Amino acid sequence: MKPLKENGSDKPKKNEKDRKKLQKLVAKNMEETLKRIEEAEPGTESSEDSPFVSGSEDTGDEALSDDDGSISDSGSEQSKLSQDEQDVIQSSEGDSDDGDNDGDLVSEGEDDDNYHAEDSHGESDDSREVVEESDSSEDEVAPRNTVGDVPLEWYKDEGHIGYDLAGKKIKKKERQSKLDSFLANVDDSRSWRKIYDQYNDEEVELTKDETKLIGRLLKGKAPHPDFDPYAPYVDWFAWDGAKHPLSNAPEPKRRFIPSKWESKTVLRLVRAIRKGLIKFDEKPKEKPRFFDLWDDSTSAERQGLAYIPAPKAKLPGHDESYNPSAEYIPTQEEINAYQLLFEEDRPKFIPKQFANMRSVPAYDKSVQELFDRHLDLYLCPRVHKKRINIDPESLKPKLPSRRDLKPYPSTCYLEYKGHKGPVITISVESTGQWLASGSKDGTVRIWEIETGRCVQIWDLGEPVEQVSWNPKPEVPMLAVAVGHDVFILNTKCGSDEQQKTIEEILHVEPQKVEDDSDSTANVVTWGQDEKHGGIRLKHFKSVTKVEWHRNGDYLSTLMPSGESRSVLIHQLSKKQTQRIPFKTKGIPVATSFHPTRSIFFTATKKDVRVYDLIKQKRIKKLDAGVREISSIAIHPGGDNAIVGSRDGKLCWFDMDLSSKPYKVLRAHKKDLTAVAYHRTYPLFASCSDDNTAYVFHGMVYSDLNENPLIVPLQILRGHSTGDGRGVMDCKFHPRQPWLFTAGSDSLIKLYCH
Amino acid sequence: MPKHYRPAGKKKEGNAAKYVTRTQAVKYLQISLPVFRKLCILKGVFPRVPKKKVKGNHHSYYHMKDIMFLKHEPLLEKLRDIRTYDKKIKKAVSKKNRDLAERLLTRKPSYTLDMLVRERYPKFIDALRDLDDCLSMVHLFAALPAVDRAVDGEKIPVERVHNCRRLSHEWLAYISRTHKLRKTFISVKGIYYQAEVEGQIVTWLTPHALQQVLPEVDYRVLLTFLEFYETLLAFVNYKLYRSINVNYPPILDPRLEALAADLYALSRYFDANGKSKQIENQQEGTNLDESEVRLAQLHQHLPSNEPGALMHLLDDGSNKDDQDLETRECKSLFKNVKFFLSREVPRESLLFVIPAFGGTVSWEGEGAPFDESDDSITHQVVDRPIQGRKFLSREYVQPQWVYDCVNARILLPTDKYMVGCIPPPHLSPFVDNEAEGHVPDYAEAIERMKAAGRKEVLPLPGTGIEDLDDPQGLLVSDRQEAIEAAKRKQQISMLEKQYLDELKLELKGAPPFSQDIDAVGGGDDAISDVQQIADDVSNMSKVVMPRKKRKLLEAMEMSKERKRSSVNRLKERKKNIDQAKNLA
Repeated sequence: MKPLKENGSDKPKKNEKDRKKLQKLVAKNMEETLKRIEEAEPGTESSEDSPFVSGSEDTGDEALSDDDGSISDSGSEQSKLSQDEQDVIQSSEGDSDDGDNDGDLVSEGEDDDNYHAEDSHGESDDSREVVEESDSSEDEVAPRNTVGDVPLEWYKDEGHIGYDLAGKKIKKKERQSKLDSFLANVDDSRSWRKIYDQYNDEEVELTKDETKLIGRLLKGKAPHPDFDPYAPYVDWFAWDGAKHPLSNAPEPKRRFIPSKWESKTVLRLVRAIRKGLIKFDEKPKEKPRFFDLWDDSTSAERQGLAYIPAPKAKLPGHDESYNPSAEYIPTQEEINAYQLLFEEDRPKFIPKQFANMRSVPAYDKSVQELFDRHLDLYLCPRVHKKRINIDPESLKPKLPSRRDLKPYPSTCYLEYKGHKGPVITISVESTGQWLASGSKDGTVRIWEIETGRCVQIWDLGEPVEQVSWNPKPEVPMLAVAVGHDVFILNTKCGSDEQQKTIEEILHVEPQKVEDDSDSTANVVTWGQDEKHGGIRLKHFKSVTKVEWHRNGDYLSTLMPSGESRSVLIHQLSKKQTQRIPFKTKGIPVATSFHPTRSIFFTATKKDVRVYDLIKQKRIKKLDAGVREISSIAIHPGGDNAIVGSRDGKLCWFDMDLSSKPYKVLRAHKKDLTAVAYHRTYPLFASCSDDNTAYVFHGMVYSDLNENPLIVPLQILRGHSTGDGRGVMDCKFHPRQPWLFTAGSDSLIKLYCH
Repeated sequence: MPKHYRPAGKKKEGNAAKYVTRTQAVKYLQISLPVFRKLCILKGVFPRVPKKKVKGNHHSYYHMKDIMFLKHEPLLEKLRDIRTYDKKIKKAVSKKNRDLAERLLTRKPSYTLDMLVRERYPKFIDALRDLDDCLSMVHLFAALPAVDRAVDGEKIPVERVHNCRRLSHEWLAYISRTHKLRKTFISVKGIYYQAEVEGQIVTWLTPHALQQVLPEVDYRVLLTFLEFYETLLAFVNYKLYRSINVNYPPILDPRLEALAADLYALSRYFDANGKSKQIENQQEGTNLDESEVRLAQLHQHLPSNEPGALMHLLDDGSNKDDQDLETRECKSLFKNVKFFLSREVPRESLLFVIPAFGGTVSWEGEGAPFDESDDSITHQVVDRPIQGRKFLSREYVQPQWVYDCVNARILLPTDKYMVGCIPPPHLSPFVDNEAEGHVPDYAEAIERMKAAGRKEVLPLPGTGIEDLDDPQGLLVSDRQEAIEAAKRKQQISMLEKQYLDELKLELKGAPPFSQDIDAVGGGDDAISDVQQIADDVSNMSKVVMPRKKRKLLEAMEMSKERKRSSVNRLKERKKNIDQAKNLA
C-alpha cells in the first residue's frame, strides 16, 4: 500500500480512493462467495476456508501494488488510466461466466454512487471483484507450463505437454472430436473469440476489449486507445539556466535571403518550358525495336577466326514416321533382342505405328534432345574434317595392266604327288630339268619337272629341313639338311664325265677329320656317307638351312641354336669348315649369299645384317620393323632384297635407298614361309601358311633415280591345309616364268603362265 | 636440360600460345564460368581442336583469338555492370530499403543482341543458313504452356513463351504466304517442315501441340540460346517481311488473336498491308502495266470480311516474275481445293500447310472465314469419324492426306485416306530411297502416280524403274554391270589363255598331261572360282596400298556393309510380312 500513498498529485489521490473502495468490494464479495460455497459443500471445503480467503486477498493486493509501483515510475496520468483499463480488461473475463454474481455487483454499484460520479469507467469497475476471484482460481487450477520456449512438436507424441512448477507432468486434455467441436462452435455465438493456447493446452476466450486491442495492433496503432503518438514535445533541456550558449556563431546571412541558385534553376526550367524543350505528359519517342540489320551500309565481313558452321541435325528417315511402312517396325523378338545389347549399342528410337494422327502422343524427349543438341553447339570442339565422299574403288592405286606384265605363273599345270608327309622344301636344278624336294616323312625326292615323274628317292629317316641344288649345272649335287646332318648327295643326273668330277668332289678322307684341332672341329665333322653316296657333315646342333655359294664350292649352314657358331661356311673342295668372322646378335633365321659380290646376308628375327666377306665387316643393317623375320631372298641384281615375316608382311628393301623397307606389302593373313626371286624375269613370289602364294611383278630399273615397280599379279591357290600349315616353300623355275610350291598337304604344284 | 624446359621470360610459341583451356580462358577473362558460358553462346564461340593438345587430351581448347574476341566484347562489360547493379538491389532489399530497391528495379540496365546478330551473320544468307536450330527451339518454346513455371530453379518467363509463339507465327505466315514450303513430315517427334528461303534449305521441327514433358536439364543454357534466337528470328522476320512489302512487326486483329487464330490473323494482315502498299504504288505510278489488272482484282475483293478475301490473298501476284518453277508448282497444288478442318486435327499445322500450297481453308470454331455448310468445300479433314451430317459434295480425308499430297506434289486419290481406316504409310520426304537401297511400296506407287500425271509411261516394277528416274541409281547399276562384265571377260580370257597355253605346250612337244593333272577352273566349282578371282582382283590392289588408305578403304567397305545389312533386314522383314499376308 505504501507506494500508493506516496503519490503526490491530485489524480492519484482520487485513484487511491477508488482503490480503497475496490478493496472493500473485493473483500465483501469474497466473503459472500465463500458463504455460498460453504452452503453448497459444507463438509469438504470448510477446512481450507481461511487460507483461501486470505491468500486471495493478498495476491490481489500485491498484484495491484506491483502494478502501481511500476506505473508510478513513468509518472504520467495516462498510464494510470491505462492501468485501470487493463484491470477492466482482466475483469471482463469473468463477466458473463458468473451470471449469478451480477446481481451482487449491481447492488454493490448502487451502493457506491461517489465512485460512479468520479470515474467514467465505473461500469467496468463493477466486475473487478469477479476478476480477482477468477484470476486467483485460475492460477491454482492450471499452473503454468514450465517447459520454456521449446518447440511443442517435441511433446507431440507424449501424453503431457510439459511440467508444472513442481516438476509434475501436465497431462494433455482430452480433445473434442472434430464433429463435436464444430457443433459446439456452431452453437456458440462467441466461438470466434475463442483461442486455443497450445502452450498451456487450454482454450482462452478473448474479451471484447482484448479483441479491440488486437484490432488496434493489427492496424499498426498503439495498443491503448488513449495513447497519443503526436503529443506535444516536452523539452527536457533547461534553456534558461545555461551559462553559455551552445553555439556562439552569429546567424549567417543566407538564412535571411532567398537562394540565388535556386532562383537560377527555376529560371532555367521556366525558360526551357517556354521554349518547349521540356514537355509534360509526353512519353519518350520509341525507336522501332527492329530494323534492317543487313542493309548494305557496312561491310559484310566476319571478324575473328574462320567460322566453322555446326553440322545440321540429321533429317528423319522413314522409320521416324508416325505411321511407318510395316517393314520399318521391328518385331517383338527384335525389340527383346535389343535388351541384350549394350546400352550404347541399343537403338535410341524404336519405330512405332499409330493408327491416326490424334493418337500420337507428345514426344517425351523433345526438350532433352534439343538440350543435347545445344550442348553440342557450344561445348563440342569444331574442326573442319574432310568428308571423303568418293567411290572406294578410286582409293585403290592405278596399277599397270597385268596383261602387259605377262608372262607370270597363273594356273596350276602339274602336281607332283608322292610324298607321304608335308613337303617342307623344294629346289630346282639350275638347268631347269630336275626338281628336288624334302619332306617331313624323311625322304628326299628328285622329280623330272616336265613329266612329273619321280626319279630318285632317298630315305634319310628324319624330317628334311632344306634341300638345295648346287648352282653349277655341271656338278648336279644336292645339299640336304636333316636333323644334325647336312648331306651332299650325288644325284647322278649328269653325264658320265660329270659323274666323275662329282665323285671326286664327294670323296672325303676320313683321317682328315681328326686333324683339325680348331674350334670348329667339334662343331662339324666331315664324313663319307656310303648309304646315300655322298658327304655327311655332322653338326653339333640341328641344321635348318643350307645355302650354296654361286660358285658351287662353298655352302653355308645355319644352326639357330648354335649361338656364336650358328652360321658356318663349308668349302667343298678343301673339305674345310669355318665360322663367319662376325658377331651375330639374336637368333639367325635365314642366310643368303650375294648373287654377284662376296657379301653375306644374315637375317635374325629382328633385322637383316649385311657383311662384306672380304673386308670382314658389317656393311649394313636392314631394319624391317616387323615382328619376326622368317625368310629372305636377294634380287639377282644384288641391290634389292625381300624379307618375309611371321606377321604376314613382305618387305622390299632397296639397299641403295635406305635401311628401311621401300615398301611393305601386307598380302598374307598368316605367317610367310618363304620368299623367292626369279633369276631372269622381273618376278618375285611369297608363300604363306594361309594356303596361298602371291606372285608379284618386281621390276628394278637400271636407272638409279627410278624406284622399283611392284605390282601384285596373281594369287595362287590350290593347296590345302595339312597339320595347321599351308604352303611351305616356293621356288621359281630358273628359265621359265614358272613357280613351284610345296604344300603341307604333301603336294608340289607347278604354276605356269 | 630437359627438352621441354623453357627459360623464364621466354614467350610461349605454337600451340601452347595459340590455344588455352577453358579454365585458363575463364581466369584470363576474370569472369565466372556461367558468364563465360553465356558469352560463348551469345558470341558463337566454340572450342577448337589444336594440332597438339598441350595440356592433355581431356581439356577443351579455345583459340586465343576467340578469347580476345570475347575480351573486347562490350557485352562483357555490360554483364559486369548488371552484376554490380543486381548487388545494389540485393543490398537495398536486405536493408529493407524498399523505395530504393523499387527505384533501382525500374532502371535496371539491359542489353540488346542486335549487333551480335550482325556480327555473327554479316550477310542475311548466313543467318538463313544457321536458322534450323533457331526455328526448332523457338517452335518448341512456343509449344510450352504460357504460365510462369520454375523448372530446376530456373524460371521460364511467360513473356518469352509468348514472344516465341509470336515469332514462330510470323515465320510460318511468311513461309505460307510466299509459298516457300517444300516438304513436310509427320514424325513421332513432331512435324518437320522444310522450306527454301532465298536458295537456302531451312528445316525445322515443331512439336505436336500437346503438353510437353520438361525433363531435368539446365534451362539456363537453353534460355541463353533462346535469347539470341529470339533476336535473330525477329530480325530475319523483319527482313523477310520487308522483302514482300509488309510492315513489321505486324499488328493483328485482336479478335482473331483472342481466338488463337494467329496465323489467319497474320494472313489477313498481309492482305491488308499488301493492298495498301499496292494502292500506294499505283498512286505513285511505279508499276503501270500490272496495276490496272490488280486494281480490278482489288475492287472485286475489297470486302475483306467475306470468305473471298482469303482467296484473294492467295493469288497475290506481286512477285510473280521472280518466282521459280518450284514455287509456282507449290502454289498451284491446292489451287482449286477448299478445305474445312474438323475438330481434333492439327489445326495450326494445316492452316500453315494448306495456304502454303495454294489452298483455301477454314476451321470449325469462331473467327473462321467460312462455315462447314459452305457448298464449295471440296475436302473436309477429319480424324475421328463423325456422326453428324455428311456432305456428299465433298471428300472426307484424314490429315495425312494433305501432307502426303504436299510431299508428292500431286493430289493423291483419297480412297485410301478415308476416315476410320488406317492410311497408307507416311514416308519421309527427306530420304533418297535409291541411295538408301530400299524403296517402300507406297513410294513406288506414288512415283507411278506422278508419272501417270505427267503422262509418262514407267516400266513395270521389276524391270528397274529406279534406273530411269535417278541418275545416281543409274550410275550404281552401271558400276555393278561393269564389274560383272569385267568378271565375265576375265573368265573368258582365262579360258582362252588356258587353251592357248595348252596349245603352246603341245607345240613345244611337251608330253600330254598325265592323269594327276587337274584342270583348274572347270566344272562344278567354276562359279566360286569366278567369285574368288573377282575377290582376288579387288584384294590385289589393296596389297600395295599404304596403310592409311587401306584402313580408310576398309572403313568405307564396313560402312557400306552395315548399310547393306540394314537394307537386307528391311527386305527380310518385308518378305516375312508379305508371306504372313499371303497366308492369311
